[in-house]
Amino acid sequence: MSLPLPSPRDEAWRWSDLSGLPALAEARPRGGVIDTSGLWLGCGGPRLLFVDGVLDEALSEPGPLGAGAVEVDSDHPLGRLARGAGWTLDLGKGHSPDATIEIVHVATGGASHVPARITLASEAQASIVETFVGDGWANRLTQVDLGDGARLMHAARLRQASGFTSLRIEGQVGTGASLVSTILAAGGAGTRIDAAVKLAAPGAFAEVGGALLARGGQRHDAAVTLRHEAPEGMSRQTWRAVADDHATASLAARVEVARHAQQTDGEQSLRGLLLRRTATVNLKPELEIFADDVKCAHGATVGELDRNALFYLASRGLPPLEAQALLTRAFVADALGRIGEAAVREAFEADADAWLGANP
Amino acid sequence: MLQITDLHAETAGKTILQGLSLQINAGEVHAIMGPNGAGKSTLAYTLGGRPGYEVTAGSATFDGADLLALEPHERAAAGLFLGFQYPVEIPGVSNLQFLRTALNAQKRARGEAELSGGEFIKLARAQANALGLDPEMLKRPVNVGFSGGEKKRAEMVQMGILAPKLAILDETDSGLDIDALRVVGQGINTIMRAPDKAVLLITHYQRLLDYVRPDFVHVLAGGRIVRSGGPELALELEREGYAEVAA
Ligand SMILES: Nc1ncnc2c1ncn2[C@@H]1O[C@H](COP(=O)(O)OP(=O)(O)OP(=O)(O)O)[C@@H](O)[C@H]1O
Ligand SMILES: [Mg+2]
Repeated sequence: MSLPLPSPRDEAWRWSDLSGLPALAEARPRGGVIDTSGLWLGCGGPRLLFVDGVLDEALSEPGPLGAGAVEVDSDHPLGRLARGAGWTLDLGKGHSPDATIEIVHVATGGASHVPARITLASEAQASIVETFVGDGWANRLTQVDLGDGARLMHAARLRQASGFTSLRIEGQVGTGASLVSTILAAGGAGTRIDAAVKLAAPGAFAEVGGALLARGGQRHDAAVTLRHEAPEGMSRQTWRAVADDHATASLAARVEVARHAQQTDGEQSLRGLLLRRTATVNLKPELEIFADDVKCAHGATVGELDRNALFYLASRGLPPLEAQALLTRAFVADALGRIGEAAVREAFEADADAWLGANP
Repeated sequence: MLQITDLHAETAGKTILQGLSLQINAGEVHAIMGPNGAGKSTLAYTLGGRPGYEVTAGSATFDGADLLALEPHERAAAGLFLGFQYPVEIPGVSNLQFLRTALNAQKRARGEAELSGGEFIKLARAQANALGLDPEMLKRPVNVGFSGGEKKRAEMVQMGILAPKLAILDETDSGLDIDALRVVGQGINTIMRAPDKAVLLITHYQRLLDYVRPDFVHVLAGGRIVRSGGPELALELEREGYAEVAA
């Protein structure tokens, strides 16, 4: 099977390393007994476990979630590979599950492609946490449609030890509705995050951000476009990219404001941290504005840890790696701080700590 | 406790310390005074092991061990505390998180048992109260948004928590109002006045020495100690200025 993958010559993919994907697409998952202890946050809400892209019914408690064939339609080069069986969340007007929904994706080698569709009718609310572990290639497409006043809190933690995780999120946000998605890459796999969200009706709010932690030869990149198509929308993108060793972490964040989208309030904060000079952070903030009454702020900076702070910490007894971890954790705190639910935020912070503490 | 012999040190290619010798024994409080740019902070940074400060000759031993061979964090674990003339702001890291990590790192290095979260909070609150710092401030990021005086009090709270053997305090009195000066002075006495501890105060003014009475006063000029005496030397300096006394 030849895999139709985008080429690094394509501007939107120039920082990505997809070279490992053909081999993973050919490989077979090892399968076997899966230990999922420690992967659930224990929210007590609905949960799904996918092993190599296949739902494990015994360990899932779907509640309002649907499983099976999902109708999605994407022309995204990776997203369109995710077809067939997946999961859905379809909430009627004003409905909201009692607790956070958890979806765990375990990979045992090979490739898995899972589509998902989230449809929230007006005033419906949901919070979803996704966790990716294992190895192999996990490719996901999630399409989101939020009715008027609906709210979706989404958070994904990418903890695969090796291999590749690619997420494609496509969203449509209705009048006064809110979509917040926070992604943490804190594993050993390569990562590609793509998001395209339309603020399609007046007063919509969309936020996509997170933290990418890369070391060794890892490559993470995120490419996010938030498009304002109606007036009085608000969008936020807070991203932190950390790169050590020879790793590369890249962020391309775009805000588009259509001609009628007056009184748009858009904010981007992209910051990179180089833990070593051999590492690379690429930042590409982009604004494309066709309306005239618009407030858009963006900042993009790459730096190293503050030497004065490192010495101050050392003078109080912190060994160099502990001092580095403490400052790096502070650096990504803004991005993880966007997660509203304390239990979820703390789990993500613990993942970041574990990644930082494992620094060799 | 601290034995500095013929220390030469440079920073940014410029030789600052030029043959400085000083001995501090357990139980003693020493004060170093001297004109701006004399090398007082350079001495503190060199003893603390700050990158960019290079020792080109001489030696410094701490409890008999070669201080200069240790990394900065190892010097701290060995019992050295540096009070900064300009405490560093660290956004995003709370005082509590910072100090608990620091104290436990020191304890681990010394092979001592680490403190639990609860034990640490108790210790931190007690020290903050002793120094007149609202314990709530310990939840805030290190030195961020602290006034000049609050930073100096916070430094002393850090010292109280870390309980060093030797404290080198670089202008801890600057930026303090009259009441704060008294509280900080008493704090230094409470924390550091003990037979097995010692203090090196770097200061420009007698007023701190009214609270923390030094056993010895030294004048640092041109990168070396040019005069040493008892507490009366500080008064003489205040009366007559460095030009007269150091000449
Ligand atoms: N990083 C540096 N680069 C260049 N010169 C430096 C540097 N650090 C210190 N110096 C110089 O070294 C000399 C000694 O500075 P130091 O800060 O030790 O003085 P000090 O005695 O503490 O003065 P003050 O009383 O003003 O605090 C000064 O001439 C200063 O300009
Ligand atoms: Mg100084």
